[in-house]
Amino acid sequence: MSVQQRTLDCKDLHEYLKTLSATVLDRLYNHPATCLAVFRELPELSRLYIMRILFVDQAVPKAIMGSWVSPNSAKELEDIVKLLTELRLWQEVEMQGGLKGWLLNPTFRRNLKGALLGGGNEWSMKPPTDADPKARGIAILDEYAMGRWECVLHFMVGSHQHEVISSDALQILQHAGLMKKEPGENQLTITRDGFQFLLMDTSAQVWYFLLQYLDTATARGLDLIDCLGFLFQLSFSTLGQDYSTDSMSDGLQKFLQHLREFGLVYQRKRKDGRFYPTRLALDIASGPKKSMLNTMAATSLNQSSGYIVVETNYRVYAYTDSSLQVALIALFCELMYRFPNLVVGIITRESVRQALRSGITADQIVSFLRQHAHPECYKEPPVLPSTIADQIKLWAIERDRFVYKEGVLYNQFDSQADFEILKNYAQERGVLVWHTTHGRKMVVTKEGHEEVRKFWKRHSRNGSM
Amino acid sequence: MEDKEERIETSLVAIVIDATPAKKFASQPLDGSSMMNRIFDSLIAFGNAHLMQASHNKLAIIACNSKSTKFLYPSMDGNSRSYQNRPGQYDMFAKVDSDVRHGLGELILNDLTDNDSTKSDSLLGGAMARALCYIHRVQRELSLSHQLKPRVLVVSGSCDSALQYMTFMNVFFTAQKENVVIDCCMMDTDSGLLQQGCDITGGQYLHIPSVAGLLEYLLWVFLPSPSCRSKIVLPPPTKVDYRAACFCHHKLVDIGWVCSVCLSIFCKFSIMCTTCNTEFKLNRPAIVPAKSKKRARIE
Amino acid sequence: MVNVTKGILVECDAAMKQLLLHLDETHALGNKFIVQDLDETHLFIAPEYLEVLQTRIDDLMDRISFPLAERETD
Repeated sequence: MSVQQRTLDCKDLHEYLKTLSATVLDRLYNHPATCLAVFRELPELSRLYIMRILFVDQAVPKAIMGSWVSPNSAKELEDIVKLLTELRLWQEVEMQGGLKGWLLNPTFRRNLKGALLGGGNEWSMKPPTDADPKARGIAILDEYAMGRWECVLHFMVGSHQHEVISSDALQILQHAGLMKKEPGENQLTITRDGFQFLLMDTSAQVWYFLLQYLDTATARGLDLIDCLGFLFQLSFSTLGQDYSTDSMSDGLQKFLQHLREFGLVYQRKRKDGRFYPTRLALDIASGPKKSMLNTMAATSLNQSSGYIVVETNYRVYAYTDSSLQVALIALFCELMYRFPNLVVGIITRESVRQALRSGITADQIVSFLRQHAHPECYKEPPVLPSTIADQIKLWAIERDRFVYKEGVLYNQFDSQADFEILKNYAQERGVLVWHTTHGRKMVVTKEGHEEVRKFWKRHSRNGSM
Repeated sequence: MEDKEERIETSLVAIVIDATPAKKFASQPLDGSSMMNRIFDSLIAFGNAHLMQASHNKLAIIACNSKSTKFLYPSMDGNSRSYQNRPGQYDMFAKVDSDVRHGLGELILNDLTDNDSTKSDSLLGGAMARALCYIHRVQRELSLSHQLKPRVLVVSGSCDSALQYMTFMNVFFTAQKENVVIDCCMMDTDSGLLQQGCDITGGQYLHIPSVAGLLEYLLWVFLPSPSCRSKIVLPPPTKVDYRAACFCHHKLVDIGWVCSVCLSIFCKFSIMCTTCNTEFKLNRPAIVPAKSKKRARIE
Repeated sequence: MVNVTKGILVECDAAMKQLLLHLDETHALGNKFIVQDLDETHLFIAPEYLEVLQTRIDDLMDRISFPLAERETD
């Protein structure tokens, strides 16, 4: 029984990289694009540190590095050291005279320097030698990308007016836990995670989806490092530029076809010999954070630009004709009127509770409303009336006034010593939920109960001897 | 309970390069290449390093000499020029590299072939003004969900030109009003005027002792955003010379005459303000003390 | 001798705890359901009453909230 609210765990680039093994990481840094992507996601101070030692070919003593920051940022420096070590961007070395120093990962150094000034490993993605006779404009690419992506989302919300998605996509949706097949049913249904997924912004969706895809990459016979390297290159490519597929391995070609299906790249024909990256693929690594897609919303007047106006009287006006967007709003709104280009809804306690019950969190609703706010709303901040944001959160808190945890209560201990022993044991095992020394009572988790009981039996037997 | 609405920060650095000392540096050798090449390499690397920090970061590079100012990046003459990609370099950086080199080459060659060297002051003030205009434009064009953090980095090696005192001051106060930080990296000579500008706008002024270490100075002192600078140890601030230049001879003065109407400064007394045409009546001062004496008695 | 009881630990604010105590005393759920009153913010309850308790609290919350947004009646 899990009564606790669970939010969708969307790792950012670094968290993802930390899950990879050291050898995989080292091989990844063989590519300038990966180095650039990893570098950009670092906090500012660590980027500065790397910049400063980028041109130094030997280890730099710790004492010197420490003197670069002001004393009140020393804590921040510690965090940086930890992060950079975890990502294997630098390592501790012993220098001459027993001094401890840090040495930048040589592969990373060479390739980052290469990306900056030239001279590192080559980028494998290259424009074809001849120009495309039927070159595609940026507007077409944007349209194509959004079309493909929305197709997946449409499928998830179950508005079946669109074409069905491929079995690969289905597999990933299932693997990611966004949709599942109920026993005895033929149709896929959306899960709690799926609802949360729908409310994320597009770049975060793409990133999450790709992470899940990469999880299964090895099972599909693809090389994880090749795929990641390719993805990062894609994210640094130029929009509207075509790239050649000639030098790509069979595995990557297969990967490309999958990306094509989700609208990350555009290809006229499978055997065209060239492909165009779309905006979905650009700047992919900034994933869960804001990225280029928001710029797209503002620059091109397609449907993904802001369309929602929320008033302080809880009314929601959505200027849209897309059934997907209407479906998304209907997740937490009661719809009242529908016009050709406008939907009017109202946020009520019941509608929000409905959303909360299906697994969406208050923060997700609030950030969704903010992200898709109508451009007019930006003229007079706050974009979303604070009463609305607060009330949605209050409604969520109201549901959480009780926290239920299944467990086992231990009480009526004979002596304080017995209680302490058992309490400490449970604490060490991490199964202690609650305790009070005063009344000698403690609660352990249901899972931990068996272990604690056995320990107690052993203990009391020994004690009686 | 209300959390802050996040806006994406876009950092724009406009580098203003003073190319007048180029002639001087072109002839000085340094590690087998000319000092001038070394300086430009450093500046380009710095510009790219800034772009490398985040995908939203923007860069503008403007160069000036004594006759003209020129946008090097983004270049104004279309983007059709092909550029040669060095192996491993990120496309965007390669483009910056080639645009800047091309533009600078043109500017310096024009300057070298032109023998008329009567006017030797560089048009730094004008170039900075163009940088501010560009920043203003970017700010207006930026989508509302973004927030621009603009700054100007002046890289110069020429002495203060008193002729441009007014331009400089206008630029500084405009920058202050628009929340643009002005940083300055001086080679060879010191500039009192730019010191003032950095001080007014909260920027960093640095006079580097040797040109060979330019890139290191740029990366450590000028790459961090102003908000991050408090965290790192930077060279101590220089004492700023706040003397003003007079409007008549453009000399720095400690004590001068100030027009009571428009506050123009003069090093010598004249009967009329050259800026606002106010006449200063000379015989008045003799009467005024008498008047005030009388008033004092009445009270 | 140590006494061991299976059940559910409930964590809530002090006011809500008083409500639960009240429901317990008045046999509102049919019977007493609190096993142990642990402290200010913790209670230990019998597992079989969880569901009925949850619906009860939900009902209560519904009753004490009123519609914030006005809606035209058509």
